[in-house]
This record gives sequence, C-alpha cells and structure tokens, in this order.
Amino acid sequence: MSESGINHKFAFYLGCIAPNRYPGVESASIKAMKKLGVELVPLKGASCCPAPGAFGSIDQSVFYAMAARNLVLAEQMKMDIALVCNGCYKSIWEVNHKLKHNKDLRDAVNEVLKEVDMEYKGTINVYHTAELLYNDKFIGVDKIRDSITNPLTGARIAVHYGCHLTKPHKDREFEKEVMLNTEHPVWMEELVAALGATPVEYRNKMQCCGAGGGVRGYDIVHALDITNEKLINLKEEKVDALTDICPFCQLQFDRGQIEIQEKFGVSYGLPVLHFAELLGLAQGMSPQDLGLDLHAISCEPFLKKVL
Amino acid sequence: MARTKGYPEALEKKLHEQRFFREDSNPEFSKKVKTLSRTIPHMCYQCGTCTGSCPSAPRSTYRIRKFMRRVVLGLENEALTDPDLWLCTTCYSCSDRCPRDILPTDVIMTMRNLAFQRDIIPVNFLKTVTAIYASGHGVPNNDVNRAARERLGLTRDPPTTHMYPEYMPAIRKIIDHYKLKANADRIIKEREG
Repeated sequence: MSESGINHKFAFYLGCIAPNRYPGVESASIKAMKKLGVELVPLKGASCCPAPGAFGSIDQSVFYAMAARNLVLAEQMKMDIALVCNGCYKSIWEVNHKLKHNKDLRDAVNEVLKEVDMEYKGTINVYHTAELLYNDKFIGVDKIRDSITNPLTGARIAVHYGCHLTKPHKDREFEKEVMLNTEHPVWMEELVAALGATPVEYRNKMQCCGAGGGVRGYDIVHALDITNEKLINLKEEKVDALTDICPFCQLQFDRGQIEIQEKFGVSYGLPVLHFAELLGLAQGMSPQDLGLDLHAISCEPFLKKVL
Repeated sequence: MARTKGYPEALEKKLHEQRFFREDSNPEFSKKVKTLSRTIPHMCYQCGTCTGSCPSAPRSTYRIRKFMRRVVLGLENEALTDPDLWLCTTCYSCSDRCPRDILPTDVIMTMRNLAFQRDIIPVNFLKTVTAIYASGHGVPNNDVNRAARERLGLTRDPPTTHMYPEYMPAIRKIIDHYKLKANADRIIKEREG
C-alpha cells in the first residue's frame, strides 16, 4: 500500500442516471472506494454511454462511435475506467472489447473519430465497481468487512443483479469466474453479507427489471408488469430492502413502484438502494450524505432497522 | 445426371420450394442479419429455449423464436413491421441459454437497426438521441438534483458534458456524421407534427 493508502486509480465514468437522479451513488462510490484504497478520478467531458437500448436499436455504428469517444477520453488520461451502472458496462465494456478484437469495427470507428481529432487505440480496460469490490486483486470481501463501522445487522436484503454486467456470459471476461454464473450467482450476496446484513434469496432472482431495450419508454405498462412480478416474489420473502448495481434498474424499481401503484393499484414500499449506497451506510455515512431522501420510495423503515 | 439417392426430381423440386421459399421471402435479408449481428441465426433449430427464457413472452405476443424463424426464412417485411420487435428488454437470457450458441438478442437489435432504415421506430428511442444531442446525456440534470448534489458535496453539474459543454461539438459531429439527428427530427415531426 502506498503512503496515501491509495492502491488503484480509475477514471470514474458516471453515466446519466447516477449523477442526475441518484447523486448519492456517485458520492458514496467516491468516498467508500477511497476508504478501500481505490481513487475514482473524474472523467471530464464524458457523455451518455450511449444508452444501449435506444442507440443500439437505432444504429449500431453510432453506438460504437459514441461509446468509443468516451473510451478515448480515458485513454488520453491513461487510466482504466470504473463505472457504477450495468447499462453503461454494456456500452463501454462491450464496445471496448469488440473494438479491441475486430479490426473492421475499429477502422470504421476511427474513420469517424478522425473528424473530431480522436483515435481509439485500445489501451485501457473497463471495470464495474461491483467487480472491483468483489475481486481481491483490487479490494475483495475481507477488506470490505474490515471497513465497516455500522454493520447492517438484522436487515434482510435481496439482490437484483441486473442483466448487462454478466450477460451474455459467453462474451464476458471476469477474473473471478463465479461472476460468469448467470443462472444462480451468489457473489453479490457475499458482498451483502460483508456489510453485516442477511442476504435473502427469492424466486426468479435473475429476471430482468423490465426497463431495458427501450421498453420502459415504448410500453411502460409492459415494463412495469415485469417489475411487478419481481416485487411479488420479493414480497414473499419479507425483505427489508433490495440492492442493485445499476441505477437504471434502481429507477425502474424505485420510481416504478410509484407507477405500479398508479397503474395497477398495488404498493410495496420496498426501499431500493444501489450497493454503493449500502456500502456508504455501513461505513458510517449518514442517509443525508447519501441523498437517500431523493429516492421515490422512503428508505426510513429500512434505516430504522440498521441505524 | 444419374441420381443415386433422394426423392424423384419433381418431388425434390416441390419440397425444396416448400421448404425454403415463400413469395415474400428475401434471402438477402437473412444474409444481412447474419453479417450485421455477428452471430449465427441460421443455426437455430427452433427449440424455443429463447422464448421460454424471455421475460416479455408471458405478458405479450412477442416470441423471440418466431423472429428467429423469420430471419432464417428471410421474411423481412413480417419481421420488421411487427410491433413486438420493440418488446425485447435486451436481458440476454435467451443468448445465455441458447444451445446453438446464437445471440438472439443481437439478432433483434440488428432487425431494429434495419427497421429504422425504413423509418420504423418508436419515437421514444429517437427522443433519447435528441436529448443526447442537446446535452450529452440521455437523462439530463435538473434543478432539484443540482441542489441535492451541492448538499452532498458534489459539483452542481457532474464533471461530464454538463460541466464541460466544450465537449459537445465533437458529440454532435459524430451524431451528424450518421445524419442521425436530422432523421430523428424528421421522423418525430412526421409522427407528432
């Protein structure tokens, strides 16, 4: 460990929903990761990843070029990227991976980037913060456990893995092979347990939140119906909170509960927290510091249990 | 030429026609989807694992297996004009489980790209493009959030294109290279006036 306690530095790619709807995810990630020896440096001038559902559906070429521009910004900083959203991972990691391995795609992208004086070189890697937290090469479960000052004892917490971090697993490359299990993974449950909480399994936990692929915008009732199915399964296990690693899933579960109440007449009142927010809480950050009051569904019942 | 195996020639011809071609079948479509999706849709043997894994299937008429068949048969119009094309949440469960190692999700995405080339696209997809063209973000900042960020010790605008708008011209140039903004504006105007 260096004198400052910082072992790793990453360019922090924010995306859209974390900084613009759940800023606590951004502040918690920066502070919590710093305590764990990882510094997240702002990636100046980054844009939307771009949204893989919307942009990917319209024109893959623009999707590649736009994601490549974000990658080049990090290449210019000579830093690997860390990000907090599965959707962003899909764009940024996957485009990086495809451009590294397909010369035809890389040439096409560089043809366009030349117009804006940029060149994609393929010199950096992309990581999700969940992956950094789980992999002991960077942080690891033990180190997280040691950093906890306010264990979330007694809280029953379920995990929503989301889709685009690990699926399709045949295209993904994780150092921790357990992360490639997309049928019944438990690595996130290990992270939850490290915070002192009780991880809870529930029926069909790997099901999608329903928001992706542009479906939330195209047919909100259809998207919410998928979310509602997950909420029914979660309710059966009487969980205190749901944790996720994707702000878009979080939006769908959090605001989605309000929309579900309006459209289907059912309410769940299930607090939904990004793992970064949970980690911040367990490391002693206050709910105010985490902006938990910005959540559509009150986190109070959960907070009463753990504070 | 002497035939050593198979049905009589006339029957073979009849079966061949029944098997592969309908009047509205376009073999070029199958080839195009295969090239652009970078996966192998022609390997599909219609087992239905994809539809069985699909979160959209139980609550709609969307059947990913049917779309896979349409690709193999070259049924371009039938595939691209079906509104169910837009119900895939891109969860990749089908792609994870496909026993033929196909990525049906990427086949859907390719068909959506081809549909867009014919102006078939729901407007919400285009509005994400116009939002990003305007600010760099699909979900932009707002005043409530700016105040919250300040309270959390963050900058009012995140250090993205929001704080550094000087990065916007390059983004617009990339989008304009593909004439995407112009096309999005035109289609939104046609739909919404």
